[in-house]
Amino acid sequence: MSETVLVAEELCVDRGDRRVLENVSFSVGRGDVFALLGGNGAGKSTALLTFLGFIHPSYGEAYVNGLSVKDRIREVREQTAYLPEATSLYTHLSARENLQYFLSLTGVTRSAQEIDQGLDDVSLAADVRDRRLSTYSKGMRQKVAIALAILRRTPVLLLDEPTSGLDPVAIDEFNSILGGLSQGGTTVFMVTHDVYGACQVAQRIGLLQHGRMVGLFEAGDGGQISAEAVHKTFAEQQSR
Amino acid sequence: MNINIPIAIARDEWRYWARSKLALFSCLIAGLLIVASLVSTVARIESERVTREGFQEQARETFESQPARHPHRMVHYGHYVFRVPAPLSLIDPGVDAHTGTVMFLEGHRQNSAVFSPRYASAQAGPYAELSPAFAYQVLLPLLLIVLGFAAIPREREARTDYLLYAAAVTPTQVWLGKSLALAGAACAGLAPLVIGLVIALSAGESLLIAAYMLAGYALYLFAWVFLVTAVSAWCTRASTALALLLACWTLLCVITPPVAATAAQTLAPMGGKIATDLAVVRALRDTGDGHNANDPAFAKLRAQLLEQYGVDDVADLPVNFRGMVAQWSEAKQTEIMNVFADEKMASEAAQSEVVRWLSLLSPALAFENFSKITAGTDLSQHHAFLRDAERVRFDFVQKLNNIHAEKLPFADDMQRGSSPEAERRTRMSAANWRMLEEVTTQPQTALVRISASLPQLLIALLWCVVTACIGFLRMNRRLQDAV
Repeated sequence: MSETVLVAEELCVDRGDRRVLENVSFSVGRGDVFALLGGNGAGKSTALLTFLGFIHPSYGEAYVNGLSVKDRIREVREQTAYLPEATSLYTHLSARENLQYFLSLTGVTRSAQEIDQGLDDVSLAADVRDRRLSTYSKGMRQKVAIALAILRRTPVLLLDEPTSGLDPVAIDEFNSILGGLSQGGTTVFMVTHDVYGACQVAQRIGLLQHGRMVGLFEAGDGGQISAEAVHKTFAEQQSR
Repeated sequence: MNINIPIAIARDEWRYWARSKLALFSCLIAGLLIVASLVSTVARIESERVTREGFQEQARETFESQPARHPHRMVHYGHYVFRVPAPLSLIDPGVDAHTGTVMFLEGHRQNSAVFSPRYASAQAGPYAELSPAFAYQVLLPLLLIVLGFAAIPREREARTDYLLYAAAVTPTQVWLGKSLALAGAACAGLAPLVIGLVIALSAGESLLIAAYMLAGYALYLFAWVFLVTAVSAWCTRASTALALLLACWTLLCVITPPVAATAAQTLAPMGGKIATDLAVVRALRDTGDGHNANDPAFAKLRAQLLEQYGVDDVADLPVNFRGMVAQWSEAKQTEIMNVFADEKMASEAAQSEVVRWLSLLSPALAFENFSKITAGTDLSQHHAFLRDAERVRFDFVQKLNNIHAEKLPFADDMQRGSSPEAERRTRMSAANWRMLEEVTTQPQTALVRISASLPQLLIALLWCVVTACIGFLRMNRRLQDAV
């Protein structure tokens, strides 16, 4: 594996008296796409949010580019772009305004052409880009959020259900973008329900069940992870 | 801290308001009310100033144009004095709205000031009392609440806070940005006040006090800005924040002022007007009847004068004994009436002091006091007018009594009831009536008003600091539990 960028080290997370993550460990190399799969409430989003410092592990530690999330949260956040599960952008702003605003908050300056290119990459129709997001469908909003994550050009992308709400064509386009980013050295950690989509883009897949890592799949040289194998393991775990 | 981020957040908040019908409508209504309050108050105060100055001149002319008369008839003819509004009345009419602005001055009596604007405008309804001070102290905080209650919970409800914090924006920067946006709205709301202050400057108010008042109003509104953002930071739901802020507004702006006034009446009670007037009458009775020179109360005066001038009969005195009695009696009675007046003013001042202490409970109450003191329309200014009016009253009554004593022969004075010729001779020339002093009550100097109002301003500042700290600390905690 290439240089390690994301490390989860024996992560345990408690909510009240319930343990939602139990001894979860994994690592993601530079330019790799790591997908975390699992059923509802398996702890996928919790694991992702731990890398943003929104959730504090009761045991274990998370690292981004060698920086402890616990101790260097500001620097960690500067190096990561996050795509939340529920698309959370400002509905009073247009797509362009949302991108300009959030990029300005991160201190990133992108020209109008670059912003348009980002929106072209996610196939958002040009004639809707100046309309307020309140008039957008869920899928259109998701595209804007993806464009924002991409335009930040951070070394790490944390994606929570990125293809949720996208139509099949848009999913294919998204996977293609992700492949390009990965080749460019961007490290991607995504959580998803979409086994087949994950197998298309991810070099490694982790399977989470009731907060425990119950399976880890790795693609061979140049190949893809077998969706059937992942699905079979997932189904077996679900039936236990 | 990178200040560009709070500024960017503030700019976006303004953009949000600009695209929100509720925010635009609220701003429009508040703006109209403030401008209407300023226009109507400026027009009203200017009209009152012209009217009162006109009436003052007319009253003087009427007094001075009286025909030749017995001077004591002029003592009872009396004179009117009018309180001319202070330049900053157009911002805060203060106690002028409740207290009288006209006094009838005459011998042997200290009349109350009458014709308060509130009484005069009773039929015009509550709008007649809508002053810029009221608009800024009560209505503008309501606008800040409407604009700002959802500032922080809205981010949480829309889950945009995740995106902000994930973009390395700190909760403190979010709080500061929202506060900046709201403070900007407050500053924009101060524009009509600046116009009012410029008008007051042209009417003779000092630049220092105008700038001080502007700074004070800005500070008061900032206290509300920080209160709104503190509550907004505290609540996870916008609806909770709105309910809490409306409760705070009702408590601080609507309930506390009358409760403080009631508490002041309880803690520093005053005697009723009827009881006080009866006590004054009782006390005055002992000084004798100044119209009756034979009243035993003046026996000592009689003896003193006879001894002083070495004569055996008051008829032989080189001065008119009746005039001397009137002069002596007026001095004695004034002394007594002043004691009661001072007691009344001290009681009112004590009540004001209680209210000022209770101002700690509400920035609105503190600021109400600050505004009145700074504008020169507070109770102390009304007391200054009463004292000034009393000085003028005593002066002209004693001057008339002096004419009575010095220029009017005692014999004629005694026979004027029975002899028309004597009665004619007791009529003093109208030239004698040009004696009136002016009531020149002006607001105290800028430095005096600043030092008197500073404690109230410090209370507003204290609220500002405390609410800012609450908001700041709450947002810092939010960093720990951002999810």
